[in-house]
Amino acid sequence: MLLGKGRDGVILTVENLEVHYGRAKVLHNIAFKMDEGELVTIVGRNGSGKTTLLKTLGGFLKPSAGSILFRGQRIDGLGPENVALKGIRYVFQDKRVFGELTVKENIELAAYPIKENLEKAVQKVLSVYPRLEKFLHSKAKGLSGGERQILLIGRVLIGQPQLLLIDEPTEGLAAKIISEITAILLSMKGQFSMIVVEQNLATVARLADKIHIMKEGVMFKEITDPEMIRQPSQYENDL
Amino acid sequence: MRMIKRLERSPTLILAVITAGFIIFGYSTSILKITDFIIFCIYVLGYDLLYGHMGRLSFGHMLYLGAGAYGTALCAKYLSSNVFLAILCGILFGAAIGGILGPILIRTKGACFALLNLAFNQVGHFLVLVPLAKITGGEDGISLHFTGYRFLDFSNIHQLFFLSLISLILVAFLIIKFTHSPYGILLKGIKENETRVNFLGYNTYRYKLITFVLSTTIAAFAGALTTLNYNYANPSFIDPHRSVEVIFATLMGGAGSVLGAVIGGAAFMTISNYLPRYILRWEMFLGLALLIIAFKFRKGIWGYIREI
Repeated sequence: MLLGKGRDGVILTVENLEVHYGRAKVLHNIAFKMDEGELVTIVGRNGSGKTTLLKTLGGFLKPSAGSILFRGQRIDGLGPENVALKGIRYVFQDKRVFGELTVKENIELAAYPIKENLEKAVQKVLSVYPRLEKFLHSKAKGLSGGERQILLIGRVLIGQPQLLLIDEPTEGLAAKIISEITAILLSMKGQFSMIVVEQNLATVARLADKIHIMKEGVMFKEITDPEMIRQPSQYENDL
Repeated sequence: MRMIKRLERSPTLILAVITAGFIIFGYSTSILKITDFIIFCIYVLGYDLLYGHMGRLSFGHMLYLGAGAYGTALCAKYLSSNVFLAILCGILFGAAIGGILGPILIRTKGACFALLNLAFNQVGHFLVLVPLAKITGGEDGISLHFTGYRFLDFSNIHQLFFLSLISLILVAFLIIKFTHSPYGILLKGIKENETRVNFLGYNTYRYKLITFVLSTTIAAFAGALTTLNYNYANPSFIDPHRSVEVIFATLMGGAGSVLGAVIGGAAFMTISNYLPRYILRWEMFLGLALLIIAFKFRKGIWGYIREI
């Protein structure tokens, strides 16, 4: 799945990124690089700017300064539909699917713009979570929170995704579902480049190749040491 | 229940039910009146595409019906009395108005979209009444005579009835095809959450514009048939006060389905044509019915039948 891997192995480069909400600056001078196939997690307290950063990468917010390079091409200010067509897929925090559409129609809606065969797309989603098959023709609003999240994660795999942006995938879910979602993300690890915003440090410790800690709109700390990543007690005080 | 589900799933069955219903209804009551009903149903179908499927409520859809009516009338008066050419002019005129206003209107939504449509409808109504009165006949409107084509003569009420019915079936078929395709799923997605649809890689602007122009074109088609039915066009065909009728009919039948739109159109026309015979202030009944729909039957008549 790691298509078109860059010569230097870098998929995303963020340089001096600044974002404003009106007159308030919410992201300050954000800079980081991400390698192909890497799973980067962004952690931080509420209001630290994690979701704002993810939305800016997804094209929902236009940065006031700085640049975002995806495989060496600038994507800042492109708009969400064009960012999506570049292969960057976003899973929102609120787990909202298209409730009035059936599960299959939700998949079809994602498959159509990238010209993916519907049956192939359905199989791709079911490969993540086979239990969704019995709900294919039911309206998606009938799914549980966990099933919705899995549908959303499965849906971004349609086509040839290059980079997945996943916002708080386990928030508000039961422990059993959290472990299922963590297992799904682990199974995807290495196949896709992923940025996951997550507050649950136990999940972060299992998933991450690299951790960025954000505080008040600033990239406060970067952790790359695998030993340290697996021990949340070593960085939980930094949040 | 099973019958209703089968009906919903089969476009042929839907179209057959509509055809049979109107033929029976027409020949057992007044064919002249039912022709009017059918034309109104075409208008409701066009409106439902915009409101029921894409979630955009317009308070000024009479502008597009009026554009079709006046496009047809002006063509018949100044260019050619050939009925097909006149209808085509009406349709193209409505599509052109939709194409010009669409890029402005579809950038908005909610109250802004509804009121901007109303504002443009007011402007259109005023233009017909005052500055263009010499061409449009102002308050008196334009009286017309259409020439037929070979054996077709639409001054014959039976021929006009079947022309309208065939038009309704064609429009309904087109809408069923559209809404059962990925395009229809996309419209539902836009109605529910446009931003999310954007992020799936869609340029929603383009799809909204196509839907808007399609809706105005269908309304204009209904306007063209209205002119043909009455052999005149007057400012009541573009009167913004009448825009509420189509909203009412759509809500009454149940938004977002072809059968709902046709049932709503027929029900509204039945009420507005027959109730005045028995109740002097019949509009009050309409108001009460709207309140009942808003509070008790939000999915309309067809939506209610589906849920039984």
